[in-house]
Amino acid sequence: MAEESILSDDLLRQLISVGEVDILVGLPTHNHAKTVAHIAQMIRVGLVKYFPRERTAIFNADAASRDGTSDLVKAASISDAREPSALQSLRTLHCISARLPGTPHKGTALQAIVAAADLLRARVCAVVTPETTSMTPEWIDRLVRPVYRDSIDLVTPVYRRHAFDGILITNLLYPVTRALYGKRMREPSPGDFAFSERMGAYLMGQDAWRQELGQSGAEFCFASAAIAAGYRLQQSFLGAKERAVNHSTDLVLAMRQTLRALFWSLDEYYPAWSGVTQSEPVPTLGSEYEVTFEPMRVNRKRLHEMFRAGVNDLGPVLASILTAPTLEELKRCANTADATIPYSDDLWATTIYEFAASYHRTVISRDHIIQALVPLYRGRVHTFLEQCRGASAQDLEQNIEVLCQTFERLRPNLLAIWTKPEGGS
Amino acid sequence: MSPLADAQWYKDAIIYQVHVRAFQDNSGDGIGDFGGLAQRLDYLQRLGINALWLMPFFPSPLRDDGYDISDYYSVHPNYGSLDDFKTFLGAAHQRGIRVIIEMVLNHTSDQHPWFQESRKSLDNPRRDWYVWSDTDSLYHGVRIIFVDTELSNWAWDPVSKSYYWHRFFSHQPDLNFDNPAVREEVWNVMKFWLEMGVDGFRLDAVPYLMEREGTSCENLPETHQVLKEFRAKIDQNFPGRMLLAEANQWPADLRPYFADGDEFHMAFHFPLMPRMFMAVKLEDRKPITEILKQTPKIPDICQWCLFLRNHDELTLEMVSDIERDYMYDEYARDRLMRLNVGIRRRLAPLLDNDRRKIELMNGLLMSLPGTPILYYGDEIGMGDNVRLGDRHGVRTPMQWNGGWNAGFSSADPEMLYSAVVLNPVYGYQAVNVDAQHRSPHSLLSWMRRMIEVRKSTPVFGRGTIEFLSPSNHRVLAYIRQFGRETVLAVNNLSDSAQAVELDLSLYKGSILVEMFGRNLFPRIGELPYLLTLGPYQFFWFRLRKI
Repeated sequence: MAEESILSDDLLRQLISVGEVDILVGLPTHNHAKTVAHIAQMIRVGLVKYFPRERTAIFNADAASRDGTSDLVKAASISDAREPSALQSLRTLHCISARLPGTPHKGTALQAIVAAADLLRARVCAVVTPETTSMTPEWIDRLVRPVYRDSIDLVTPVYRRHAFDGILITNLLYPVTRALYGKRMREPSPGDFAFSERMGAYLMGQDAWRQELGQSGAEFCFASAAIAAGYRLQQSFLGAKERAVNHSTDLVLAMRQTLRALFWSLDEYYPAWSGVTQSEPVPTLGSEYEVTFEPMRVNRKRLHEMFRAGVNDLGPVLASILTAPTLEELKRCANTADATIPYSDDLWATTIYEFAASYHRTVISRDHIIQALVPLYRGRVHTFLEQCRGASAQDLEQNIEVLCQTFERLRPNLLAIWTKPEGGS
Repeated sequence: MSPLADAQWYKDAIIYQVHVRAFQDNSGDGIGDFGGLAQRLDYLQRLGINALWLMPFFPSPLRDDGYDISDYYSVHPNYGSLDDFKTFLGAAHQRGIRVIIEMVLNHTSDQHPWFQESRKSLDNPRRDWYVWSDTDSLYHGVRIIFVDTELSNWAWDPVSKSYYWHRFFSHQPDLNFDNPAVREEVWNVMKFWLEMGVDGFRLDAVPYLMEREGTSCENLPETHQVLKEFRAKIDQNFPGRMLLAEANQWPADLRPYFADGDEFHMAFHFPLMPRMFMAVKLEDRKPITEILKQTPKIPDICQWCLFLRNHDELTLEMVSDIERDYMYDEYARDRLMRLNVGIRRRLAPLLDNDRRKIELMNGLLMSLPGTPILYYGDEIGMGDNVRLGDRHGVRTPMQWNGGWNAGFSSADPEMLYSAVVLNPVYGYQAVNVDAQHRSPHSLLSWMRRMIEVRKSTPVFGRGTIEFLSPSNHRVLAYIRQFGRETVLAVNNLSDSAQAVELDLSLYKGSILVEMFGRNLFPRIGELPYLLTLGPYQFFWFRLRKI
C-alpha cells in the first residue's frame, strides 16, 4: 500500500517554485498569530543581514491554525511580486506555507521541515519556535553560521533562562544526555536549532526515527539521533529565551512526550551510548549558560502533595518498575512530614535509570511506565526549588553539575540492569 | 518606407559598437582605419546589424582612447582621411546600415587649440570657453568620477596660473557651456557631421555640461536647456537624425533627458546592465524586474538603449554597496579585473565562456524593451586581457581568422596598436570569425539567427512589456505587445532545469509558436501554462489566436 506523503501537492508545487536553497528556516506553528509576525520578521532580517547572497526560504509548517498565522508568515517574503521593502535584499526570499494533515503535532511539522530541507537540498536548515518573544535576527546567524561555514551538523542553543524555566531539561534531559550519550549538551530538546544537509538526509533515511518523530518529543529525538550517529555538534548562545505572557505548557503532556522520546532513544541507540565512558563538552559559541532569578511564584506545598499522592497511589505500578530499595527510599522521601527529606540526586538518577530499563524491557505497558514517572518528577522539582532558595546563579550551576556527575557515576548501574531479564523489585 | 526613411528607425535598430582602430587595418600600419571598416561592412550586413556606433575617431593625443579630442572637424590620421570617412559612410548607407558617431561635448583635450588659446591669457577671446577659477574650492563636494586616478575635479594650470574644471581626466578640461560662443561652435561641429550624412550622435558625458555652486553639478536644468537647444536645431535642420545620451544615472534621473520627447531620442539604461549579470549569477529575476519596475515611462518617440558590454568597464555606480560587493566577488575576484567603480572584462569571460549563459544574456538583451547594442567581438565570444591597463584589455584587435595578427593587420605584430589576445581559450586561433562562419552551430551563426528573429517583428523594439509573476523566481517571463502582435519571452536564469507555471489566462485559446524553430506548442487553456526549461534556456513564443 502506498505510504501517505507528508508533502501535499500544494506544498510540492511551492517547493518546486523555490528550488534549491542554501538556507531553509522552518517555522512550526499552531495558532501563533500573536507572536509569529515578530518571529517571521526576525528571520527575514536575520537572513538578509547575515546571509544576503545565499538562496533562502522560510517554510511555515502550520498545524491547521485558525488565526491567520500562515498569512502573517507569508507577509515576510521578499519578491518582485511585493512592494519593495526597506530591507535591501539581493534575492527573492520565499515564504512558503503548508497546512499539515492530522492533529497539531510538532513532530509532524518537524518531519515536514526535514523533508522540505532534503528536497530543496538546503545546506543548512534552522528551526525556530514561534512563541519566543525575545528572538533577534542574530539568532539566525548564530544557529546557521556554524553549519554553513564550519561544517557543523547540529547546532543547539544555549539560552539565558530563568532558574525555574526548563527544569525538565536541567534535571532530566541534560544530565541523562551527558551521562549516557557523553555529550554536555545544555538543550538536548532544542526548540531552536539548525542542522546540516547530510544530517537531514540521514534522518530521512531512518524509518524508526521518522515513525517516532510523529509520536513524541520531536526535538529530543532529533538531538539524540544526531549524537548517536556521531554528527558534529556545536552550541550557540542565543540570549534570553522569553515567551509570550499567555504561553502555557501542559506539564503532563510535555513530560509524557519528553520521557517517551528519551526512553525511545535509549532503546533505539543502545549500541551508541552503551560504549560511552565519559562525557565531553560540546563546543559553544558565546556564553556557556546564564541564569536569571527574577521572583516567581511557585506552590511548593502542592508540588510535594502531588508527589506524595502519586507515590502512594501508584505503589503497585512503581513496584513493577523500581527495585525494592529504590521504592522504599522513594516512599520515605515522599511521606516524610513537611518534606524534610529531599529527593536526592542519587535517588533521582537511580529512579530514572530504573525507569529507563523497565521501559526497555517493557515490564508493564510503556505508557503506564511513563505516566508513573510524572508524580516522581514533581517530587524532584520540589527538591530542586528548595535547593534554589537563596542560591546564586553560581550555586545553581553547581547543583546541576553535581546532579550530572551523579548521573555519570551511577551510569554503570543502568548498564547492569539494562539487559536483566526480569524487572521490578 | 525604405529602411532609411523611418523617423523612428532607432527603435528597430540593432546597433553594433566598434572602434575604427580595433576593427580592420587596411593601410598596414597596425591600426584599424576607415578603409578597413568599409571592407568589413559585408560582414556586418551579414550579421544583421543595421546601425553602427563609432567611437571617437577625431584627431586626439589619444590619452583617453580618443575621448580627448583636439580637432572636431577632422579624422585622426591613424584612421584615414575625411574622404575615407565619407566613402565608408556612403558604403554603409548603401547596405542599409546607419552610422552613429561619438560626440564628446563636455570636454576637449588639453591639446585642443581652443584650450591652448584659453590658457594663454585672461583676456584671450577663448578664455571663457573653459571653466577657470582662482581657487579649487568652487563646487566643493562634487563627486570625482575617475577615483583611481584623479584626486580633484580641479587641476592647476601653470601657464595661466589658475585652476580649470575637469570631470574626467585632468588632461580633459570641461568646456564652458554658459558661454554662448561655445554652444554656437559645438552646434557648428554637429552640423558639420550631420551635413556629411551621419545618422546620429552618441553624446558623451551629458550630465556634466554645466556647473552651479551648491549642486552636484550633474543633471542641472541648465544642462537640459542646452541639450534641448541642440535637439531643436537638429529636428529643424536634419529631421530623422538621432541623439543618444550617455548618462550613467538612475532611471528617475535619466527620465528628464527625454523631456517631452524634445531632448534625447535614446538613452542608455545603465542600471539594468549590471542587474542582468546579477540576476544570472543569483539565479533570481528580482534584480531585473525590480529595476525595470522602477524605470519611468518615457515619451512614445523615445527609447532605451540596452547593452551587455561596451568599451568601458562594467560600471557598478548604479548599484548599492551590497550589490557592488557581490558583483566584484562573483565577476572580478582578481583585483586586476577591477577598474574605477567597475569591472573591465568582456562578455564571454564574464560568463565563464558558457555558451548557454551567453545566449541567454543576448536573448534578454534582444527581448527586453529597448534597442540593443552589441560590442564588437562579443558576437564571436572574444576574450579580454586585463593586464593591458586602463580599459585597453577590452579594446584589442578584432579576431578575423587564425592567421597573421588574427587577420586584423598585415603589419608586424609589434606595430599593432594593441596585442591580439593569444591565450588558448580566447586567443584568435581558437576564437575568430572565419572559423565560426564555417560552423552553423557557432556563436556567430547563432547570433545571426537571433538578430534575424529579433528583426522579424517590431514588437521587441516598440512593444509594451508586462511581467508575469510565476512563483518560480528563477524564471523571468514577460509579454511584449505591439499592435496585434504578442510575444511571450520565458527565460530560465538558473543552471538547472526548471518547471514553471505561467498565468496566461488573458491569452486563453492562443497557440504558442516558438519563434526560432517555428514549432507549435499546445494551446493555452484553463490551467496555468506549464513549461519546462533546460539550464539557461529561453523561449520566445509568438501568441497566435487561430
